[in-house]
Amino acid sequence: MSTPATPPRSLAEALRTRDDVSLAALLRSRPDLITPVPTDLTQLATRAGTRASVVRALERLDRFTLQTAEALAVAADPARYDELLGLMAGDARDPAVVDALPRAVAALREQALVWGADDRLRLVRTARELLAPSPQHPSPTGLGPTVAEATAGMSPGRIQEIVTAAGLPSTHDSVSAVAALTKLFTGRRRMKALLAGAPEESLEVLNRLVWGPPYGQVTADPAARLRWLIDRGLLLPTAPGTVVLPREVALHLRAGRAHRATEPVAPAVETKVTHRPQVVDEAAAGQAYTALATVEELLKDWDEGGPTVLRAGGLSVRDLKRTAVALDVAEPVAAFWVELAYAAGLLASDGDADERYAATPAYDEWLEQPAAQRWARLAETWLTATRTSGLVGGRDTKERTLSALGPGLDRSAAPEVRHRVLGLLAGLHVGAAPSAESVLARLRWERPLRGAGGAQRSAQEGTQGSTQGDDDLRSRLARWTLNEAEMLGVTGRGALSAQGRALLGAGKGSAAGAVVEGRLATTGGSGTSSSSGPGDRLPVHHHNARPPTPTLPEPLSPAEQSMASAAAARLLAPLLPEPLDHVLLQADLTAVAPGPLQRPLADMLDVLADVESKGGATVYRFTPGSVRRALDAGRSASDLHDFLTAHSRTPVPQPLAYLIDDVARRHGHLRIGAASAYVRCDDDAVLSEILADKRSAGLRLRRLAPTVLAAQADPAALLDGLRAMGFAPAAESADGDVVITRAHAHRTPPRTAPEPVPDGPPTPDTTLLSAAIRAIRAGDRASTTPLKTTPSPTGELPRTSSAETLATMQAAVLTGDTLWIGYVNAEGSASQRVIAPIRVEGGFVTAYDHTADEVRTYPLHRVTGVAELAEG
Amino acid sequence: MCTYVNGPLIVQSDKTLLLEVDHERADDCRRAIAPFAELERAPEHIHTYRVTPLGLWNARAAGHDAEQVVDALVEYSRYPVPHALLVDIAETMDRYGRLTLSKHPAHGLVLTTTDRPVLEEILRSKRVAPLVGNRLDPDTVAVHPSERGQIKQVLLKLGWPAEDLAGYVDGEAHPIELDEDGWALRPYQKQAVENFWHGGSGVVVLPCGAGKTLVGAGAMAQAKSTTLILVTNTVSARQWKHELVKRTSLTEEEIGEYSGTRKEIRPVTIATYQVLTTRRKGIYPHLELFDSRDWGLILYDEVHLLPAPVFKFTADLQARRRLGLTATLVREDGRESDVFSLIGPKRFDAPWKEIEAQGYIAPADCVEVRVNLTDSERLAYATAETEEKYRFCATTATKRKVTEAIVRRFAGQQILVIGQYIDQLDELGEHLNAPVIKGETSNAQREKLFGAFREGEISVLVVSKVANFSIDLPEATVAIQVSGTFGSRQEEAQRLGRVLRPKADGHKAHFYSVVARDTIDQDFAAHRQRFLAEQGYAYRIMDADEILAEN
Repeated sequence: MSTPATPPRSLAEALRTRDDVSLAALLRSRPDLITPVPTDLTQLATRAGTRASVVRALERLDRFTLQTAEALAVAADPARYDELLGLMAGDARDPAVVDALPRAVAALREQALVWGADDRLRLVRTARELLAPSPQHPSPTGLGPTVAEATAGMSPGRIQEIVTAAGLPSTHDSVSAVAALTKLFTGRRRMKALLAGAPEESLEVLNRLVWGPPYGQVTADPAARLRWLIDRGLLLPTAPGTVVLPREVALHLRAGRAHRATEPVAPAVETKVTHRPQVVDEAAAGQAYTALATVEELLKDWDEGGPTVLRAGGLSVRDLKRTAVALDVAEPVAAFWVELAYAAGLLASDGDADERYAATPAYDEWLEQPAAQRWARLAETWLTATRTSGLVGGRDTKERTLSALGPGLDRSAAPEVRHRVLGLLAGLHVGAAPSAESVLARLRWERPLRGAGGAQRSAQEGTQGSTQGDDDLRSRLARWTLNEAEMLGVTGRGALSAQGRALLGAGKGSAAGAVVEGRLATTGGSGTSSSSGPGDRLPVHHHNARPPTPTLPEPLSPAEQSMASAAAARLLAPLLPEPLDHVLLQADLTAVAPGPLQRPLADMLDVLADVESKGGATVYRFTPGSVRRALDAGRSASDLHDFLTAHSRTPVPQPLAYLIDDVARRHGHLRIGAASAYVRCDDDAVLSEILADKRSAGLRLRRLAPTVLAAQADPAALLDGLRAMGFAPAAESADGDVVITRAHAHRTPPRTAPEPVPDGPPTPDTTLLSAAIRAIRAGDRASTTPLKTTPSPTGELPRTSSAETLATMQAAVLTGDTLWIGYVNAEGSASQRVIAPIRVEGGFVTAYDHTADEVRTYPLHRVTGVAELAEG
Repeated sequence: MCTYVNGPLIVQSDKTLLLEVDHERADDCRRAIAPFAELERAPEHIHTYRVTPLGLWNARAAGHDAEQVVDALVEYSRYPVPHALLVDIAETMDRYGRLTLSKHPAHGLVLTTTDRPVLEEILRSKRVAPLVGNRLDPDTVAVHPSERGQIKQVLLKLGWPAEDLAGYVDGEAHPIELDEDGWALRPYQKQAVENFWHGGSGVVVLPCGAGKTLVGAGAMAQAKSTTLILVTNTVSARQWKHELVKRTSLTEEEIGEYSGTRKEIRPVTIATYQVLTTRRKGIYPHLELFDSRDWGLILYDEVHLLPAPVFKFTADLQARRRLGLTATLVREDGRESDVFSLIGPKRFDAPWKEIEAQGYIAPADCVEVRVNLTDSERLAYATAETEEKYRFCATTATKRKVTEAIVRRFAGQQILVIGQYIDQLDELGEHLNAPVIKGETSNAQREKLFGAFREGEISVLVVSKVANFSIDLPEATVAIQVSGTFGSRQEEAQRLGRVLRPKADGHKAHFYSVVARDTIDQDFAAHRQRFLAEQGYAYRIMDADEILAEN
């Protein structure tokens, strides 16, 4: 690659110089840039600089690349590559960082987060704003503002004082003073000399602030050790009572490093144990078989009316619990199977008025498929589903419980995390089971901003912004993935099985791991070590011989995925146990199927016997109830005997044969049906005649016995019908008596007689009258007596200021005058009262109330106003 | 699936293990899983074992580790063992031994932990708090010596079993030797004694007639100390005494009987449960028996019948060796786990059919004879009060006829007719012209009749449930059960046990259970037979008409 003649002046120009492959790589890694497709590169560049897009891109960086971006954010703008290297590798030039940095810079360039040549590296402005330290958003680097930033707004006199104290010649203006100070702080040797003269305690203060947060509190009169630092500008005031360690000083103390620890290499996924590949595949196949059995059992359990759908959608906690008991698993596990069946389209809500969950027609088709394909479908569904059963039982942001099959379970990160976890497993040796912690550590390294845990978190909260709610989602997803993969039989004993590898589209055989990496390297597009690879057309550091850290896998396209699933199914098929065609019958009325049964046999046994124990084998128990169930299902005793004889390796035990015969003997002995009416007659000839008569067809008669007919028509219709045919039937009561029908007086149930409705209100009694008169008089007095103070028009509450109210009240106590007050009671309703105040104290007025004709106490604050009444 | 396809074992997800008996490696497998899995059912083709936390902890106590357990499962399993189950086993076994009970030279009994949070957790439990004393150091807490059994029981329930290293008191020494003259302990009896002695305390389960008394005698000969033997009733006490005098160096004078009639306390004392649980004015006056001597061994005969108060006393006796003997550790009250935690875990268990195969118990032909109720009986049955129903159908007249027919069929052989209802038995006795032994029959009369039956002077004996336990009728070859205590599984097993003592001429034993068809009698019978069916006794079903037609 060659350096272009003129360096680009903006991101748009930088993009313009990139070739198609490199632009494609950008758009692949940041697909949000092309929705909708931008009209030109300027628009693309603008969009690439928007906050939302940059946040998204930053979240997808691995830890080292992110650290590189953070270092750039605290470096000069533009920065030289050497400067960046200094920040990342420190003065000691950590060789691992030196090796890894070109890749990180290339990745940032590819993602259009950084542009410009190595001598002018520029972080896009939005990223810089997001990552650069500010008092509100401390940087993950723990660095504070530069000297220039921290001294902005400081009085020139103060700056000159600092310069002098630091041992520099005074300058003419503040700008050159700040520049001189900066130069002093960045010069390692001179700085060392300066600090050599520092008191021990002052150095301790610096050491406390060096790795951040760089801010400290000082009192108005700082101690000597602080004074020394403040005087020399080693601590600069930011706000009253607060000082900050300037970035240059911190970097000097850190030997140039922007980060306390850099992680240039992804943490390796540690192998905990290694099993023989065969053991892994077989264990996984066993689990795969269990998975199929569980899903089938679940849906069979729901065959006759599954659980109802909650109004808010989903499965109630109780139904989930019941399902868990039925499947004999823990509730979270039950939730997993339910969600899996749902995601695979095997179950859904039936959409009836009384909405219930039930198996879909797709389930029946699925059942017809060979076991391996059935598994592949489940596994593929699981791999690509965004629904996350692990969340079931938790709460959403509005504190509502998340229920299985309910809304709010989709997590778009889930498929990617699943892919990535399995991808990491695939990168290990065949048969190796990793420790969950190392997998999680690796995932956290790859996406530090998403699901960051521990130390980094607090510092990064500023940039986390919108992802706050998803706290540790990626780690949780990864943990669930490991569990679920095991339950589903994608892994066996913790290691990825051959069929699991195939499912990832990793080809066949033990070379799968390498194949994964290879495929990823080409499609993921981080070919920094290859000159023809995508990337900026800018100098690439060829000395980097290290293979690139595997970039994140792209999930397969649907077509690829279905091919991969088919391959997985082919690998699984021979591992699944062959269905058996026989069971062992025992005299204790049990049958043991020493392995999976052929479907018709299993179906029949499920009806004929109760399942006692499940697993590799199935133990069935025959009970009278179960045998009756089979008879109810239309089997005859001889069918059952033949069935057992045909499928038993051993003679049918006599007690079992007896059980079947015993139940069959009594089965159907009693017959039950519904009829609306009956006809009975001692003369069966008459009944034959009725049946023979065509007119009786509408009555739907059936002969139950020679002398009894049952009818579907109701008794009245039957009576009329038979009368119409010329018979003279008599109705019978429930007790068998003839019902005598004759005119009979109809009566209502007991009823009370209506209350009279009087013309007007009832005559009031004396008490009521006197109260009424009193009220009227008081009102009258209020309205007719001329007011001493005029304001308030009639009917309106008097309004006076509270001081005036109080004064008037106190005066009235002395004079014994009667006052007219407006009063608002505790319920807020206003009224007028006429009172003669007796006492005013403690915010209350005690007065004789003419309206109520008694002494009452009113809180003054409820009195809206007061007016004096003329003595009348 | 080449490595697995030949295994005899199938591991189920509910932690049961199915063992295919006819498999060539079945015996190896049985030995491998026996230390940690309980045999639950042993019918003809597939035996069912269950892996329980208790079993796993006992295995740990016996020195097996999780790896051995997992290896045994993986090695013999036909299908891959669910990973979750293996993890669960490892975790469960890991819980054992975090807590130990031991003797501290200064503080007496102490509970020590190797894992402090566990101690914190259990100390916070309300049930543990009253049982422990001061915290001696962060890892040790004192335990009241009298609560040793209680705390073990509680810790077991909390899922943190304590390893009991506090040992046993030796008790007052007393020389006891087996007098193996013309006989010897059978291999399985030796094994049972050895397992018990090694484990310290525990329960030995042997089929009826397989010589449990001798296991007791063997244990006494090991302990060589004063022994308290608890039995169900006086007749049984006499038999124990008789047997001990005959089989050991003990003499009549050394053995005391502590019962309603006699209150002797001697180096070896045989007491009945009844006398121990007699209560006067709210106290148990005979409890002092436990403290009357420094017993070195306490033997519980028929431990499945252990009455609830005795459980309580036993909890206080944790420092003494305890041996429980039973044929059927099924309790309809579900207190098997109390037996395990208070007396000790199951130390030896032999499937009935295995002992039969070795020739130590007679093979038995179990037949359920179904009689039809007559139409009028059916009507009466339908109208009977619920609590009277069983009595009505169990005592139907047809049963009598069938019983007579069976007795005629085996004329000349020693026949026991066993039933629940006295009037039914009296009537049967009258018709069969046989003596009836019931609750009111005096002990002297009983022993006289038993003697005559043994001698063959009388060949048919009608007995009520008083004869359910520990009566030794060596030559009974046929037992006919006409009614029983509802659905009691262990009663059925005990009754079958009456005819299982090996016959001198190698005769097959016959066990007939006469049941009224289509009534709750039949339902109860099905339940009663369950234990034996699970032990591999296949009941044959016959119609009463077949039997009646023969005669």
